[in-house]
Amino acid sequence: MPAGFNSLLPALVLIVLFFVVPVLALLLRSVTEPEPGLQNYATLLGDGTYARVFFNTFLVAAVVTAVTVVVAFPVAWMLAIMPSALASIIFGVIILSMWTNLLTRTYAWMVLLQRTGVINRALLAIGIIDQPLPLINNLTGVTIGMVYIMLPFMILPLVGTLRAIDPMTLRAAALCGASPIQAFRRILLPLSLPGLAAGGLMVFVMSLGYFVTPALLGGTSNMMLAEMIAQMIQSLLNWGLGSAAAFILLVVIMALYALQLRLVGARRMTGGI
Amino acid sequence: MLLDYDRMGWLKIALLGFTALVAAFLLLPVVFIVLLSFGSSRWLAFPPPGWTLKWYRDLFADPSWLEAALTSARIATMTAILAVMIGLLASFALVRGQFRGREILRGLLLTPMVLPVVVFAIAIYAFFLRLGLGGTSIGFVIAHTVLALPFAIIPIATALEGFDKSIEDAAIVCGASPFEARLRITLPSIRIGIFSAAIFSFLASWDEVVVAIFMASPSLQTLPVKIWGSLRSDLSPVIAAASSLLVGLTLALMVVTALLQRKVKT
Amino acid sequence: MIQPFLSIRKLHKAFGAFTAVHDVTLEIPRGEFLTFLGPSGSGKSTTLYAIAGFQDPSSGDVQLEGKSLLAIPSHKRSIGMVFQRYTLFPHLTVAENIAFPLRVRRRPDAEVKKKVADMLTLVRLESFAARLPGALSGGQQQRVALARALAYDPPILLMDEPLSALDKKLREEIQAEIRRIHRETGVTILYVTHDQEEALHLSDRIALFRDGRIEQTGTGEDLYLRPATDFVAGFIGNSNFLTAEHLETANGAATIRLADGSVVSGVSVNRTFDKGQKTRLMIRPEAFGMERKPASAELAVEIVDVAFYGERRRIVARTATGQEIDIRPTSAAMRSQDLTPCSRQVFFDPAAAFLFSA
Repeated sequence: MPAGFNSLLPALVLIVLFFVVPVLALLLRSVTEPEPGLQNYATLLGDGTYARVFFNTFLVAAVVTAVTVVVAFPVAWMLAIMPSALASIIFGVIILSMWTNLLTRTYAWMVLLQRTGVINRALLAIGIIDQPLPLINNLTGVTIGMVYIMLPFMILPLVGTLRAIDPMTLRAAALCGASPIQAFRRILLPLSLPGLAAGGLMVFVMSLGYFVTPALLGGTSNMMLAEMIAQMIQSLLNWGLGSAAAFILLVVIMALYALQLRLVGARRMTGGI
Repeated sequence: MLLDYDRMGWLKIALLGFTALVAAFLLLPVVFIVLLSFGSSRWLAFPPPGWTLKWYRDLFADPSWLEAALTSARIATMTAILAVMIGLLASFALVRGQFRGREILRGLLLTPMVLPVVVFAIAIYAFFLRLGLGGTSIGFVIAHTVLALPFAIIPIATALEGFDKSIEDAAIVCGASPFEARLRITLPSIRIGIFSAAIFSFLASWDEVVVAIFMASPSLQTLPVKIWGSLRSDLSPVIAAASSLLVGLTLALMVVTALLQRKVKT
Repeated sequence: MIQPFLSIRKLHKAFGAFTAVHDVTLEIPRGEFLTFLGPSGSGKSTTLYAIAGFQDPSSGDVQLEGKSLLAIPSHKRSIGMVFQRYTLFPHLTVAENIAFPLRVRRRPDAEVKKKVADMLTLVRLESFAARLPGALSGGQQQRVALARALAYDPPILLMDEPLSALDKKLREEIQAEIRRIHRETGVTILYVTHDQEEALHLSDRIALFRDGRIEQTGTGEDLYLRPATDFVAGFIGNSNFLTAEHLETANGAATIRLADGSVVSGVSVNRTFDKGQKTRLMIRPEAFGMERKPASAELAVEIVDVAFYGERRRIVARTATGQEIDIRPTSAAMRSQDLTPCSRQVFFDPAAAFLFSA
């Protein structure tokens, strides 16, 4: 096991041969099929149907990110300061949810969100609604399912950020005269911002390219990008258009990561898991 | 004093209540699916009219489920072994190596984790079609190893960074060869990292859906592909039974991990 | 009767079965610099935290100008505080940190600017206004913390071991700074430390804590020269304790017999002892002289070791009964024959020695 460059070779060969080359080949197909040129990109960016898909994708990713951030923050806050016995129970629940098979969780939501599912029946029984809500096969269902999947990815790193804040700093703020609301707005929130931004961007990027949940909980009329790409390849066998769409997704996501790297530094993003 | 748990008053009550709700939200599908798998309603009515083991009997009566599970286990095991071995070597280079472009290469090796799987899935699908690896176990293992590699490298590299290299040097001064020193001193010290890497890479393959959907052939189906296919046709309670078994497996894995970590601490 | 400025009344704090503070009572006049001195776990920080509002006492009261503070949350107490660790807000510049207490009070902009400038001048960091705390040294950070704590002219400033994270030289520098600021602003300061020298340098008065109680309150001189208990004597300065038997007390001066059989009269006492009671005689190392003076008592010792400490020498000696004692005469008071190991007499003033029960 030499400590130099050599021991990196197996990994490099694997990644270059079975990751970089296939992705580049895909890129090549997007400008060569059905004939050389940029017509695939022109089609994707010029057609209203596709624009709708791009819009849906960004909309869902943005809503999922916003909801996830707002829901995750109080939970991470409590996890950072609660007694460790209680915290380990909550952590256990989070890990269980995170490690449970993705399809299993999505299947559960498919059943829960059905027209005759538990949630609609419960809401009807309480009397909040008198018609079953359309919770599935639309963007509402996708959003609920995605928030569910993304929450652990937001909560866990945020706990680290919050634990790194010295409680004394908040005591100092209180003695300085800051009311709890002022201390939250001027001290706790700004100090949590790096964690919120990093987690938020990660959730946003993951949501942009997510395939499984939108495919199962979404509807045919409101498709998201990843699902559209899969469909173009699998059902329509339109490799040129599919690869071009994949490449657009790839460029957007790489640009967002580059932005994050500039903001927080490479080490903190990849070294923290 | 927003970070003093004992002095937050009503705010703590409110936030704890919210946390409990979120925990319930996270737990809901997992518990629900297990309850559902014992329910007697073919139409997944809840609460079910009665309790039954019928769906589990159906599940075990259908050899294709067991076959898919075995296929998944085989591919995930090979993926975990490969990813840990390649990841271990790569981690040594990334943590200890002195060469130009180390950070860039580190980024490259971790890229499969951040790239949308669907992009990789169609790319590797097209590539393997040309190589004749489509629908083969080898193809599955290679594709999954690419996806699992970041999950192997991160815990091992983190453990290695936390390991004091001078201990290894001390072993060499004591007369051990560099290889022997790594084998007998360094590897045991970072075993938690290696163990996490094995679990994460196993799960990365075991739960992988997207690549599998493209790569699967009628003769080679992983468990997620089998579930995916059933989900698209109907929401049969048999899926709930299969899913409950997967939840049980997850729980067992969590318990083993927790026990191992406790054992290391004491 | 004049009402005390700050008064702590029968303050009691228990954490489960452990009692951190036992019925502490103190009255502090306006403008005083009072130090809570004591070993760690003696209850001094807990008392300070009760004043700051970080902890609710189990019973007792803290009153400022006759009004109880207990029902008032920390952020409405208008108390300034400097902490052991640097608690500057890391995302705000030095100027913004100092401005923070004024901003949350919604003071007008012009006033905030002027006050920040004044405070920067007070702590001599005018040129650091735009820096972030991370770019400052530990000493500078604590000076900013001091400026922030004083920015809104709080009537009381609490300081919880503010210098413990600094090295010795910086510590002395900031001690001088704190004294100057106390002089210039007239703020009432409650200062917590476990460092007796720091307490002696800084304070008007010291409250010495032990196991959650106040052992003695007084000026540094009181505590050093007239310790109420052997704990005070042992904690403040260095002390030798010689076993002794009490013979009699008359007119506030005791006569005792030391272990080697010699009898000493005129020893200071601040309580009564029975005849024949086992006692301990406390003598400061620097109270020993090498020459006889009119009222001196004498002690036969064997010189074991002599070390040069600049203005003083430090001698390790052994009494006839084998007890080691520490003697620190001024270097000038020594002659060359004192420097060699030998048996000789050393002398002390009985009035500067104190008798405590064994």
